Order: sequence, then structure tokens, then C-alpha cells
Amino acid sequence: MEAGQIHNKDAFLSKVRNHLGVIEVKDHVEKPEWSVSPQKNVLKGKSKDELVEVLKEQCKVIHTDFYQTKKNELNGVLESIIKKFQATSVVSWSDEEMKKYLNGIDAIIKNNNIDFSEWDDSNPEESIKNAEKADIGITYSDITLAESGTVVLFNSLGKGRSISLLPKFYVALIPKSSIVPRMTQATTKIDQEIEAGNLIPSCVNFITGPSNSADIEMNLVVGVHGPIKAAYIVLDDI
Amino acid sequence: MPMQIGEKNFKNRVEKGLGDDFMRGAVKSAQSRLQNNRKLAAEDLGDWEDWRTLGQEIRQHTIENLDYYLNELSENVAELGGHVYFAETAEEANKYIQDVAKKKDAKKIAKSKSMVTEEISMNDALEDIGCEVIETDLGEYILQIDDHDPPSHIVAPALHKNKEQIRDVFKERLGYQNSELPEELALFAREKLREEFLQADIGITGCNFAVANSGSFALVTNEGNARMVTSLPKTQITVMGMERIVPGWEELDIVVSLLTRAAVGQKLTSYITALTGPKKEEEGDGPEEFHLVIVDNGRSKILGTEFQEALHCIRCAACINVCPVYRHVGGHAYGSIYPGPIGAVLSPLLGDDEEYKELPYASSLCGACTEVCPVKIPLHEQLIMHRRNMMEEREMGNLAEKITMQGFGVLTGSSSLYKIATKMAPFVATPFIHDGSISKGPGPMKGWTGIRDMPAPSKERFRDWYKKRKAGK
Amino acid sequence: MKVSLFITCLGDIFYVNAGKAAVELLERLGCEVDFPASQTCCGQPAYNSGYHTQTKRSAKNMIEAFENADYVVGLSGSCAYMVHEYPHLFENEPEWKQKAEILKKKTFEFTQFITDVLKISDVEATFKAKATYHTSCHMTRLLGVKDSPYTLLKNVKGLELFDLPHKEDCCGFGGTFSVKMNRISEQMVDEKVMHIESTDADVLIGADAGCLMNIGGRIERQDKPIQVFHIAEILNSRGEV
Repeated sequence: MEAGQIHNKDAFLSKVRNHLGVIEVKDHVEKPEWSVSPQKNVLKGKSKDELVEVLKEQCKVIHTDFYQTKKNELNGVLESIIKKFQATSVVSWSDEEMKKYLNGIDAIIKNNNIDFSEWDDSNPEESIKNAEKADIGITYSDITLAESGTVVLFNSLGKGRSISLLPKFYVALIPKSSIVPRMTQATTKIDQEIEAGNLIPSCVNFITGPSNSADIEMNLVVGVHGPIKAAYIVLDDI
Repeated sequence: MPMQIGEKNFKNRVEKGLGDDFMRGAVKSAQSRLQNNRKLAAEDLGDWEDWRTLGQEIRQHTIENLDYYLNELSENVAELGGHVYFAETAEEANKYIQDVAKKKDAKKIAKSKSMVTEEISMNDALEDIGCEVIETDLGEYILQIDDHDPPSHIVAPALHKNKEQIRDVFKERLGYQNSELPEELALFAREKLREEFLQADIGITGCNFAVANSGSFALVTNEGNARMVTSLPKTQITVMGMERIVPGWEELDIVVSLLTRAAVGQKLTSYITALTGPKKEEEGDGPEEFHLVIVDNGRSKILGTEFQEALHCIRCAACINVCPVYRHVGGHAYGSIYPGPIGAVLSPLLGDDEEYKELPYASSLCGACTEVCPVKIPLHEQLIMHRRNMMEEREMGNLAEKITMQGFGVLTGSSSLYKIATKMAPFVATPFIHDGSISKGPGPMKGWTGIRDMPAPSKERFRDWYKKRKAGK
Repeated sequence: MKVSLFITCLGDIFYVNAGKAAVELLERLGCEVDFPASQTCCGQPAYNSGYHTQTKRSAKNMIEAFENADYVVGLSGSCAYMVHEYPHLFENEPEWKQKAEILKKKTFEFTQFITDVLKISDVEATFKAKATYHTSCHMTRLLGVKDSPYTLLKNVKGLELFDLPHKEDCCGFGGTFSVKMNRISEQMVDEKVMHIESTDADVLIGADAGCLMNIGGRIERQDKPIQVFHIAEILNSRGEV
């Protein structure tokens, strides 16, 4: 990738240094040891099953339907959600892992007369159009935060941003193994990737339920620009 | 819209606020909800004070090393193929953004909520070159439709409006035909704005936090509009105040956790979107081109001064939500897009301090702001520092007050003079006393007695009583 | 125990009864009460208005006045807090800063002194009334004295204490704020009076003369049937109302 341009940096930063009273340009700044780390104590030592319970409770707060199922019974749950949302069109991610989860979707599509399409990075216009029209968008969760009820999506090939954003309803498949206490564990992992010199995804989405707004008289309206409803399905994979 | 809003005269703005019953009702109920939500979220954590301490340490370290982290950020963004423009002034920032828009031949620009773009009047600059700029945050959209009514709160910009007023604006301007139910109003905006997102040539966002170690940007939203703005248009411009940065993701976790709790009492908002560079070549959605504009606009001159902590602010508005002065006068009375306690601290620093000279005094110094600030900015102390600078260094006070205060210093600095003066008080006050209290005082006392009685000075001071008692023992 | 009373300027001139009550009560609790007569005002009006050079004159006088005191007991939370701020004033005068630190360490608000230093939670007072207590901002938020007044009031016989809704809200005093921004201050004090009235209390108790002067003045202006007392008067009461 061609590097971008940086304009006006030296003059700007030297002004900053002048005001800060810094004389030399620093090669390296060591972060101090913070005196406290309360984030590490949240839900510390909880088992995966206990974290699932926390997630389940939090789903009530974030207006999100919660399901838990064994892997081989996922299709039944998906079908019932499709029926509940009265959906006629579904879009999903298309990477290998997603395909694995949705290996039984053909029968559901057929039985319910669903218009189904997968995200195709080589044809973004068509993919966005499909997502925009779709009733349901399905993704899986890369990391799941129990405390806040958040699914973390690392976007990459086959994992388009629009799938979790444009459809009317959003469904997240949550492998039980992906559940961690809170945001701290996700950001630690990202910091480790950076430390190791790896490129991080161009977009990391922390999604907590459906979109909402309280801009009108502080009244919560669920469903604004993003999905208006959301459902999480926890898959017992461990 | 520049930082300065509304009419110039502070007293007139205050009177306008006090006379606006709709606004006052809306602000009062919003404040009580937001206060309560924040409190519950803080209590729920159990160790909120530790979180605040950590937030303070992170912000302090980052600002003390701002030059280093901004450099790291810009290098990382450029390495990913993004362009970075360091803008010393609002004009420089706008010029760069205009140039990008011209180069892209942009007609339509979709924008998510951003205070810094309000501060530099970016929309006006883009409209000047013929672009249509669409605000996509529901609150900002409402204000834009209503003849660019200025925001009155940094998190909930349309807080001063009630749903009936919003319904009428939609009806008048957009042909809306449904009721004042927030659900119906929001659904209408969703449909209207969908088209705009899909057609926009450029998406512009603000920046809640930039992350130096990866060249990333976190946007904290609930509605999903910022995701639209950063997923659909081919070009993205992000504008950030130069202090909105953290060293790494470890710190991002903390400031985001503090922000969402302090602002609205949520553990996390619906969307925390962290963007790193333009989309990768093979990816389908996301911007192909990314520009970052880092704005100084008066911030650097705050560094190294007693006000440096004001740059620790994470724009959660918790101080605004507890401020009793804000509750009564509303956001517009501050005459700045930054209202409330943080606005009273920042506006004289970022703007013209002569223009904002009343703001530091528009506080009873009750300290409610300082108590809730998630990064422990001593807001009420900063207001006192402003007062001291204005009176002692800039001599902006009026002569009568100066003389009074000099007299105060002389009197209270000398016990003998003080004793004479306090002994005289009852005699001086005698003509004004009726039924044991003063209801119409002279001169500077009018400010007090205009609205409340003043007790009459006791004929026998405490010190006289004590002396007699001691002698009698 | 030797106690030096810090009466405050408002206490000296307007709230004389509070001062008398404080002396009597402290003596009853076994203290020897002294009144350094050279004390004046803590300087807060000038400090909050931005005139810090003038404030230093008040502060120096106060530091000297209480130089020989073991404990300084202030009758207003806000003024006691101001004394706690003195070290900040003298950042560039190390000698005075050191003296200010010493004064800070030995200065207490009246109720704080009783509960935290004397370790007394029941002063054996009797006061028959329906009352509510106004928590002043500087005393609770800045000086950090939150529980002491409640601890003491709870043990006053005959006193029915109602919780004041929105008790953490400022009454709108704020020193010169009440004069400079009197239109805003008026709204704040009206809200406070409304909350007091909503409790059915006949008596308002406070531990800060400034707040009491503000709320009391507004109550009087509006002819509301609510009596206003300094907490020292309640705690020193043995039954007569």
C-alpha cells in the first residue's frame, strides 16, 4: 500500500512542544504503571457458563433477544427467528467460519421461501444493495463481552461492515468460547497484535444490541439508522 | 456554525433562557434522567473512584506527551495509506477539507456528530463551495432542519426541544404527517437519511478517541449513523481536536468505559466503531481514501498553563448534566457550542475571553461538576483560576468591585479595622431594617435584597457577648 | 480539650445565637472554648471573586489569629473549607504555606469536630420539631463532611427528620454569585425552597451560614411558615423550642 501524506507536522508539533516546555523530540515514551487497574477485576474468575448468564441478563437491558443452543440445533433456532421477524430476505458474511455455521441454511431458505445472499467483496455494489434491502443480517462474533452484552466483529475478507448495519434485524452467532468478561480482554488482544507487528482489521465494531437514540426528550427509541431489533444466539461449542 | 452562538449580550441570553418554559422543562427532565443513569452505572461498578483515578492518570500522561503521541498517530495513519493534515487554525482545517471535497468533485456530504467541526464552522465552509452537508445524528438533523438552530448540549444537541416542536419542524420542512411519538419521528428520519447515506460522496466524522499505537479512531454512537458514514461513501474525512487521543487500546478501553457511563449510564453504547486506515484493497465496503485533520485552533496555548487539565476532557457532558445553572438557563445562554461548566472553562480559552468574560462567574462553585467528572478535572477550581486571571492579571473587573475588594483585604487583614467596621454595621444598617430584617438594601446590596431579605446585623456581636461572658465568669 | 472557635464573619454579625449555642455545647461536651478575638473573615468572598492578593491578607491574619490554637472549630462548612484551601494560596511563599498547612490540619467544621475528634454521636439534645436538613455543597463535596450532621441530628430527641429531596443541589448562594447572578440564583433558591416545602418540615436546619442566609432570606421574602436554624442551635437545645 502506498503511504499517505502528512502535512504541516513539524511546525504543529514544535508549537505543541514549546507550550509543553519540552525541549527535545522524544524517541520513545514509556507508559507509566497506572496506579490502579479496576478493569481487570470485572467478572474476574467467572467460568464461561457464568459469563453466559451475565450476557443473558445484559441482553434484557440492551433490548436484545437471547437464545442458547447446541451447534446441531442451530438451524431450528435460526428458523424460528426468521419466522418471528417475519423475514423474507437474509444476508450473511461469507468467510469459511460463517459457512460452517450456516451449513444447514439451504433447507431453511427453501422451506421458508427466503431470498438469501452472501457478502461478496468482489461485488460490493450488489452486496450493499442486498444488505440494504434485507430483513436480517447474520454474522458471528469474534469476541463477545459479557459485561456489556457486546459482540466484537473484526472485519476482513468476506466479513463486510454492511451486514451488521443495513438490514432491519441483526442476528449474531456467539460461540461460547468467544465470551470474555469485558472490553479489556478484547483490547488487550488487539494491543498484542499491534505489539507483534500485525496489521489489525480496518474496522473493528463493538456492537451492543440494536441501534437506538435518546435525542428526542431523552426517550429511548430502539431502532434508528442501524438495525431496529437484534438477537444473539449462543452456541455451545465447548 | 462558529463556536459563538446566539446574541452577544450575556444578560439577554440568560433572560431568554429563564423565560423559555418549554426549554426549561425539557432540560430539567433530561438532567434528572441522565444524572440518575450515570449514578446507577457508577454504583454498579462498585469501584468508580478507581476508574476515575485511572482515567485521570491516562489523560494526564497523554496530554503531557501529546507531541509524541500525535507524531506516532500520524505516522501510523500514513503508513496505512491515510493522509494527515495538521491544522493550526480553523481556516487551515476548512481549506484542506474544501480542497479534498473539490478534488473529489463532491456534491453530497454525510456527516456524523462532531463538536470540533461545529467549532471550526466546517459546514459553512463546505456549503460555500457548493456542497450539500447532511447532519445524520438524529439530534443534529433536527437542528439542521430547523434553520440551523445551534446545539445546546454536547451529547444531546437538541435537548432544548420537546417532541411537539420537533414534530412541527418535520411537518413544516419535510412534509411529515405522523404524530409526535419519538418512535415515529425517528422512523421518519431513518427513511429520509437512508437515501442520503447511499448517495453521499464523502463521509465526515468527528473523533471520540484516536489510538496512537495503531493509527485508529474510535467513534462512540448509538444510532448507527457514524457506521453508515464510514462504511458507504468512498472518501472519509475524520476531524479531531488535537487532544482527543490515547496511547493504546488498553487506554481506549478505559476512556470509552468512562465516557459511556458518565454520559448516558450505558456500559457501552450500541456502537463503538474503531477504524484503522482506509479499507484494505480487497475489501468490499469502507472508504477507499482516508483523511485525518488534526485541529489545534487555540488548544496548544492551553498547554503548559494552569488550565492544561481542561484538555483532559472526554466530552461526556456529565458536568453539564448536574449543573444547576445550566438547568435554569439552558445551553444557549452560554453563547458557545460548549455550554455548562466545561464550556465556562473552555470557551474563554478557545474563544475570545472578553466575549466570554461572564461565563466563569456563571457558577455558584457548588462543585457538582468536579464531583462527577470521570477524569477528575477540577472544574470549579478552573473557574476560580479564570476569575483570578481576569481580575488580577487582565484587570477586567470594574472599578467599584476592585475598590470594594481592596477594602475587603484591608479590613479582613487587620483585626482592629475589622472590629470597628463590624461594630458599625448595625448602625449603618438601621435605616433599612424593618421587622428585624432588611428587604430593600442600598447600592451593591440591591443584588441581594432584590430577591430575598437580609437579616439585620445583631446589635450585640458574638465577640461582644463572648467578652462579656468571659468577664462575668 | 482546648478549642478555638472560628465564628466566621456572618456568625459574628448575623448568627450570634449559633455562636452562643456552639460555645455552650462544646463546654457541655467537656471542651474549654477560646475565642481568638483577632480573627476576621476567612477571605472567601475575595477568593471566589478572583482577588487572590486580597485573600492572602485575610488568610495571613487568620493564620496568625489561630497560631496558638490546638483545634480550630468553624461554624460554617464553607469557611472551614476555605481555610483548607490556604496552602494553595501560598504556593510561592513557603513560610506561609507551611503555616497554612498547620492551620489546615487542625481546622474542623463544627459537627465534624464533634463526631470525628470528640467521637460523640449523641449530644443529648432535645428539640421537638418536624425538620429537614440542608447539606451545603462546600461542606459535603469539598470538605468531605457528609455524615456528621446526620449522625448528630438522628440522636436529637423529639426531632422528626425528613429527607430533603435533591439535597445535593446547590441552594444558589455561591457568595458573590448570589448578587452578581441574582436572576439565576433566584431560580436555584426557589427550587430549594420548593423541595423544602415538599417535605412538610416546619424547620430547616443547616450548618453553613451563607446557605442559611440565602434560603432563609428567600423564605422570609415569600412569607413561608418555615423556621431556619443553625445546627448548633438544635444540638444545644435541651427541650425548649
